[in-house]
Amino acid sequence: MNTKLKVSEISKIYPGCVANNKVSLEFGSGKIYALLGENGAGKSTLVKILSGVVKPDEGEVFLNDKSIKLNSPLDAKKNNIGMVFQHFNLFETLSVFENLSIDSDTKDEDLRVLVNDILKKYNFKIDLDIPVLNLSAGQKQKVEIIRCLIGNPKVLIMDEPTSVLTEQETDDLFISLKQFSKDGILIIYITHKLKEVLSLCDEVAVMRKGKVVSVSNTIDEKIESLANKMVGENLNTIKKKFNKFKNSEEILKISNLNFKSDDPYETNLKDLNLSLKKGECLGIAGISGNGQNELFQILSGEIITEGTSIMFRNKEIGKLNPRERREYLMAFSPEDRISQAAVPELKIYENVALNNFKSSNFFEKGLVNEKKIKEHSKKILSNFSVNTDNVELKSQFLSGGNLQKLIIGRELITSPELLVCFNPTWGLDVGAINYIHETLIKINQQGKSSILISTDNDELLKLSDRICVIYKGKLSKIMNADTVTAEKLGILMGGGSID
Amino acid sequence: MSFDLNFIGILIGAIMASSVPLILAASGELITERSGVLNLGVEGMMIIGAISGFALMVVTDNLFFAVVGSMLSGLIISLIFGLLTQSLLTNHVATGLALTIFGIGMSAMIGKNFVGIPGKEFPLLFLNLKESIPFLGPIFFGHSIILYFAFGLPFLTNYFLKKTKTGLIIRAVGDSPTSASNQGINVTLVRYSCILYGGAMCGLAGAYLSLIYTPQWIENMTGGRGWIALALVVFATWSPIKVLIGALIFGGITILQLHMQAVGLRIPVQLLSALPYIMTIIVLVVISRDSRKIKLNTPTSLGQIFYKEK
Repeated sequence: MNTKLKVSEISKIYPGCVANNKVSLEFGSGKIYALLGENGAGKSTLVKILSGVVKPDEGEVFLNDKSIKLNSPLDAKKNNIGMVFQHFNLFETLSVFENLSIDSDTKDEDLRVLVNDILKKYNFKIDLDIPVLNLSAGQKQKVEIIRCLIGNPKVLIMDEPTSVLTEQETDDLFISLKQFSKDGILIIYITHKLKEVLSLCDEVAVMRKGKVVSVSNTIDEKIESLANKMVGENLNTIKKKFNKFKNSEEILKISNLNFKSDDPYETNLKDLNLSLKKGECLGIAGISGNGQNELFQILSGEIITEGTSIMFRNKEIGKLNPRERREYLMAFSPEDRISQAAVPELKIYENVALNNFKSSNFFEKGLVNEKKIKEHSKKILSNFSVNTDNVELKSQFLSGGNLQKLIIGRELITSPELLVCFNPTWGLDVGAINYIHETLIKINQQGKSSILISTDNDELLKLSDRICVIYKGKLSKIMNADTVTAEKLGILMGGGSID
Repeated sequence: MSFDLNFIGILIGAIMASSVPLILAASGELITERSGVLNLGVEGMMIIGAISGFALMVVTDNLFFAVVGSMLSGLIISLIFGLLTQSLLTNHVATGLALTIFGIGMSAMIGKNFVGIPGKEFPLLFLNLKESIPFLGPIFFGHSIILYFAFGLPFLTNYFLKKTKTGLIIRAVGDSPTSASNQGINVTLVRYSCILYGGAMCGLAGAYLSLIYTPQWIENMTGGRGWIALALVVFATWSPIKVLIGALIFGGITILQLHMQAVGLRIPVQLLSALPYIMTIIVLVVISRDSRKIKLNTPTSLGQIFYKEK
């Protein structure tokens, strides 16, 4: 049975943003379709419409030439449209089987047989009776896929499925997707990763600012041509010159550090050793959830450690809190811009004052010296090309890119000796990413050091002088970046070993 | 000195009776909270149940109408909470507190004309067995039907949450309302139902006080039991069986310290009165200290307002 899916003249307008602007596309079974675009291009809105989560303002969806109404996720399920969201729709505290049985009308015993058949057919290995919070991201995604397969889908939509996967898990996923496609399921694959489009998909539709700008066969495309269509401008790529640090002085040393958490959601860190030299950028790769959060908090002082395991510029800093560490010229840019790095309800200048309680003249006799803080904030806004000069603006109204520039600027304007940043370009557009990357390279050239914890391998390979991988709370051997490839990182990130 | 076994049996029976309102209210609130809704109005719903049960008993002279009426009134007042928090998306904590203040005031107003009226005798079951069997008789027999229901309820609740589809859906909604909604579950409906059920159980708990435990109307007669029930749910880490244990400990120490006061031990009365609160919390903290289990039992979305993307 052939499946044809057509979206016609779909529009969806949010306050201040046209998410979809008369989008029309056609899909047929037997092929894998890529929907390519930057963050905010409107891909996610379109798939939310197809899965019944969001209602379009205008336009229609046709399945096999019949107009279908998708008013709720239930409608999508009834029409055999399955969807795997980027952020999993799983219940962490329930078991795998409970997660699968919750929206299925099949009796539990029959469902178990059905699920076991699916596990066998596609060679998935998952324990059905453990809570989902114990699964890796790749396994969670498989649970989502199984949930779709139970409903015999005609259409399977995957929303940025590889953002949480290792290279190996990605390969496995692609094999499964090709198998599904062969079994007659129409697959729509949403991504902003160009390589994946070329290696997996048959056709590609590119979206930009809510519109479809091109539809083509992937055979006719190259990475560069797709990139230019996606961004709409020619990008100049930056490349770092690697530095050699044999002779420069050591600035940070962590030896034999252990961290044990009481929280089952957190990762324990085991036997941590690293050293960092002046002017060097150390990259730490890994799939999210392998201890990066805990490592960042240990570096920033959110987690206090005992003993003499962390030395910074020959001082023991393990017991210092984040403010005291900043006084020793460390700076931090946490992963979550909105909740960790800045307070969204506060104005820009108030956020700037937040990390500078003591060592500045922002406060006099317990009172806030607004004038000085505002001058200082204006300097940050212009030095770090934040796209506003209004320091009274509430931080929540800044775009992700501008907020990140403000945060990095706030940290760097005090000329710290070490900047620790965690996923600094996560969710940003290409322009902002470029700017942040240039800034990070510049501070190394000025002889300042940086630690870059990131889940983006391209970014790590571009910026780091040395790289290691964190897996289940353990650091791999630290390697010179020029000897490291994406493949090597992938193996280490999945828990394998190299050489 | 002769050791009166029968007296101990009667004491245990009294402890069981005193823990009934806590078990009922806490079991109801447990279901509400498992769906992710934090209703701090337990005390208010209980006292409304107490006065409406008593008032209906006086007016209709029918205990069945009184009991059912108290559950209905608890349900109706929790419906106000549901409308506010689920449809108008108000803050759970503030709305629940308002509900308690409202309930206490409202019950005092309705209750003005019912002060001093004697209650009606509530039928107790198996009275002959209570008299004839020493020790075990007073423990297991001679109670009201509501007590037997209350002691079965935690086990039923446990089974319901763990083994039935509806229980699974409630747990799922409490874990992640967004995911549940994306799976086609009507989160608002589930949460409304759980709120109403909790309200009905709190109403019944109140009626037990005014119809059976101390059959009369006294202003503010719940005396903070609603708050204890709320605390029990949290300290029992949302496990119905632990709620039962906690309620028994609380009831037990309440009764025992009364006896200790009567005997005239040289311990300050204030300390004795505080004992049930302290001991219940200590015991529940100790039996619930497995942090992994806590994570798995805690409704992750507790108190969060849910609104659907449109």
